[in-house]
Amino acid sequence: MALARAECLTFTYPESAAPALRDVSVEIEAGEMVAVFGASGSGKSTLLRAFAGLVPHFHGGRFEGRVEVAGRDTRCVRPAELAGTVASVFQDPEEQVVLTQVAREVAFGLENLGAAPNEILPRAHHALAAVGAEHLADRPVAELSGGELQRVCLASAVALEPQLLLLDEPTSQLDPEGADAFLELVAELDVAVLVSEQRPRRVLERADRVLFLERGRLLLDAPASTAQEWLRENCPRWLDLPANGHVSQPREAVCRLRQVQFGYPAGLPVVDGLDLELARGEIVALLGPNGSGKTTIAKLAAGLLEPDSGVVERRGRAAMLLQDPSRYCIRERADDEVALGVRGDRGRAGAMLASVGLGGFEERHPRDLSCGERERLALASVLVVEPDLLVLDEPTRGVDPERKTELASLLHEGAERRATLVVTHDEDFARAVADRAVVLGREAVYV
Amino acid sequence: MRPAAAVALLAALAAAALLAEHVWAVAVVTAVLLAVCLRAPRGRRRFYLLGTAVSAGALFLLTPFIETIGSHPVWTGPIVPVLGQLDVTREEVTSAALNALRLAAVGFAFAAYALLLDHDRLLQTVRFARPAALATRLMPTLERDAAGFVEALRGRGMEVSGVRGRAALLSPLLASSLERGMNLAEAMEARGYGRPGRSNVPRPPWRAIDSAGLLVAGAIVITGKLWL
Repeated sequence: MALARAECLTFTYPESAAPALRDVSVEIEAGEMVAVFGASGSGKSTLLRAFAGLVPHFHGGRFEGRVEVAGRDTRCVRPAELAGTVASVFQDPEEQVVLTQVAREVAFGLENLGAAPNEILPRAHHALAAVGAEHLADRPVAELSGGELQRVCLASAVALEPQLLLLDEPTSQLDPEGADAFLELVAELDVAVLVSEQRPRRVLERADRVLFLERGRLLLDAPASTAQEWLRENCPRWLDLPANGHVSQPREAVCRLRQVQFGYPAGLPVVDGLDLELARGEIVALLGPNGSGKTTIAKLAAGLLEPDSGVVERRGRAAMLLQDPSRYCIRERADDEVALGVRGDRGRAGAMLASVGLGGFEERHPRDLSCGERERLALASVLVVEPDLLVLDEPTRGVDPERKTELASLLHEGAERRATLVVTHDEDFARAVADRAVVLGREAVYV
Repeated sequence: MRPAAAVALLAALAAAALLAEHVWAVAVVTAVLLAVCLRAPRGRRRFYLLGTAVSAGALFLLTPFIETIGSHPVWTGPIVPVLGQLDVTREEVTSAALNALRLAAVGFAFAAYALLLDHDRLLQTVRFARPAALATRLMPTLERDAAGFVEALRGRGMEVSGVRGRAALLSPLLASSLERGMNLAEAMEARGYGRPGRSNVPRPPWRAIDSAGLLVAGAIVITGKLWL
């Protein structure tokens, strides 16, 4: 008997005209790892929330069909009562942390489930050890990096010893090594796992089965080996982004960093003796592990930080896209948000929205957009100022492979007019977009 | 010391500052609380200390023009329609200093609570107050959000300056708080929050220093009321 099943599930969010899920039927067996792929807004997160009971209990909306987990109909039990049988790790780790210290954060769920008081902390420490984060147990949550926080969130879920683990883009903030280690840990757990991802390669290597959603419909439910064939035939970009066909013609330097050193207050230098040159016409990818100083270098190049020593020279206007797209939700209409950078010129804003695939979204409130749509709105807000130096910090977080390909084309189109620096964990995207890569090691910069 | 005893001490100092009548006594209490705040990391304490100092400074400057007490003018200004003659007396300055110091003491006590105490353990003591813990986290979160908005605007070539520029960020800040609140509520529900039969991590034992802290807190309040 299946551990969890959805039967003819159709769900529409309140105030939404179109269903987020349409007639979806799927079964999850105990102990298997099921990957869910699909474009932004295809219903992946909604499916995960349905198995957690959050859809419909937390979100409201119109729910048709039936979802059962461990023999319990999710319409009849609250999500809090399903906790323990099901555990979730959501997209943004910062928005699911309740307490201030790591061990107690992991213990929070156990307390809610009424675990024996003397067992709570040992179980929390055991869960942290299981995800390789025991050394973080006494640290304040506020001091953790995004990658560390994702591990803590996984530990919080694992501590509940669930039968079904729901992971919504759990490696979005991890570098490739971190993502490998994270998924390896998940694969070793003796639980059923339903995991959605936008970087499919790693998950495909470990998943038993693959689901593919498009506009709420389940197009594929197949074993991983069969799924690879299907993806190759129907959605090849999910397996490999197109090769970089851009031929760069670097011209004059737009930005030069010479012997730059920078450290945050009360810390060791994050950047030490860095030399980097960015020329008009080229796209440079900046790669490196979590905590190696990529974002700091990007901010130094864009002028958002001043170096402690060394020189940063810039010619012309610099613009930078920050990691968090919710920072681009200041105005109440998407076109007004983009127009902020061009003195309220809605015409230019509308054209830029169209160029990032958001034509027709002009009047939408930025906060009503999905994660991937917000990422594109943020990109439009930065591109519209037509900078001489464009700096993008993790522009593919929450973006599906189809959109990544479009983003690469968009960057190639305007590449001759500017120098572009792309900070990313996404090696596939770096290969698809960049003319050269700078890889930050712990000791040196390799160009 | 357990956070509950530390809270009692901070509350007692704030209460003593409100009850005391002498400027020097309130100044001493305020200085003690400021010294406690200075133990917090510089980056985090700056926002709280600046906010408290600006509020107390504004109160000090405005009070003499609002109050009309005393008969020893130190400055006599022009006659202003509706308000009449502007003047500042020695008594008004003393009163302004007293009220400003009281406000500063309360502000520093809150800053010490927000910056230095272990809220997880504190709210383990006061179980019904989990929402208060989350509300306490609001200030640093808002501070981080505001810095994020300003940085994003700078990244688009715009500088945020002046009261009008900062005021324009209030609405997105509020919206971002509400959104975060919803996401957090969803995550808490998914982790079993609100389910009956909740248990707790065993609390560390109550020690002599905690009892002493409570006694000292009581003594501070009585001293503030009777002798300061």
